[in-house]
Amino acid sequence: MKRLVTTLLVLIGLSTGAAMAGSTYPDIPKAVGAPHPEGNDYMRLNHMRLLRHDRNLTVHDGDRSIKYSIKECVACHAVMGPDALPISVQEKGHFCRNCHEFAAVKIDCFQCHNSKPEDGFIDLLKQNPPATDDEIQAYLDGMSQ
Amino acid sequence: MLSTLYAVLFYVATIILVVGTGMKVARYARTPAPLKIPVSPAPRTKRGVWFRMFREVAFFQSLFKSNRWIWIFAVLFHFGMLLVLLRHLRYFTQPVWWWVDLIQPIGVYASFAMLAGLGGLLLRRIVVPRIRYISNPSDYLMLALFLGIVLSGMSMKFLMPVDILGVKQFFLGLMRFQINELPTQPGVLIHLALVATLMIIFPISKLLHAPGVFFAPSRTQVDNARKFRHLSAWAKQLPPLPEGIPEPEEGK
Repeated sequence: MKRLVTTLLVLIGLSTGAAMAGSTYPDIPKAVGAPHPEGNDYMRLNHMRLLRHDRNLTVHDGDRSIKYSIKECVACHAVMGPDALPISVQEKGHFCRNCHEFAAVKIDCFQCHNSKPEDGFIDLLKQNPPATDDEIQAYLDGMSQ
Repeated sequence: MLSTLYAVLFYVATIILVVGTGMKVARYARTPAPLKIPVSPAPRTKRGVWFRMFREVAFFQSLFKSNRWIWIFAVLFHFGMLLVLLRHLRYFTQPVWWWVDLIQPIGVYASFAMLAGLGGLLLRRIVVPRIRYISNPSDYLMLALFLGIVLSGMSMKFLMPVDILGVKQFFLGLMRFQINELPTQPGVLIHLALVATLMIIFPISKLLHAPGVFFAPSRTQVDNARKFRHLSAWAKQLPPLPEGIPEPEEGK
């Protein structure tokens, strides 16, 4: 019995020691532009499949008129740095980086692709003001019906 | 509700795993080894025993000598599992340790090695008549449990992706004594329930061969019976030795 209690105390001590300060969930930066019609939950689980599927369509089959483009992902989800210009995946706070670091999943997209929006897409960002909380709430209400 | 259930399940399972295995290990450590029984060829020095135990644990030397087929499947399974387990550290560390980040992708392929090893070991129990004859329900249960864990895990990787951020948040929460919401995709629930089952039955199962190998006198004893008299703890309390017989080197 004494041994059991000691072990329990050690166990609790260890877990408390592991309890470091700080949030246990990555910060997900807000995107500009219309929300995904599939919903955020769907995109969180399946974005990698959509990207891979389209990679195969474009690279293997030569179809360049596909629904999703990594250029658009990067544009809508751009995070601005202190100089008000989009930051690259090399910098902390990049949209893809936060969650991927949390889950320890490597991104190989940006070995070839640009992680910052291209010039044409930056203009697009300027035309579309960021979605307000009300707009997003309205969209989510619409989704749940 | 489901999150609370799984949180309680994992706290209970962890306590049973740690306390139960600890008690078994304590019992192994106290069990007397009255005879000198190292399996030869055995090392004659303590350093040699350390080296032998390393070969046993790292390469499964005695299994390699006795049965090459089981050795192949055992190596596939155990080292696949090692990589897969290390890969899972990403759910319990924040920030993730750099070397976990490094081996994380390799663990994906290790799951196939694990599956092949388990499949081979299960096939052996079914196909080889004499092994089939001596196989108990618990032998099949362990293989089935591991197969269930591997298959449910792989299905989350390759078939139905799940919200791994939510899973990590749940387990980081458990380590901080708070209950965060657990994603309720079937893959997550099945995988975690099977893992908790494994943790609970570990201290009463054949899987105790993991700590047990370090307490096997046939492997851990030094082959020095001709040089020193072997005495177990209870025998030391007997009257002193007659003249001319050297004292034992250590208690083993």
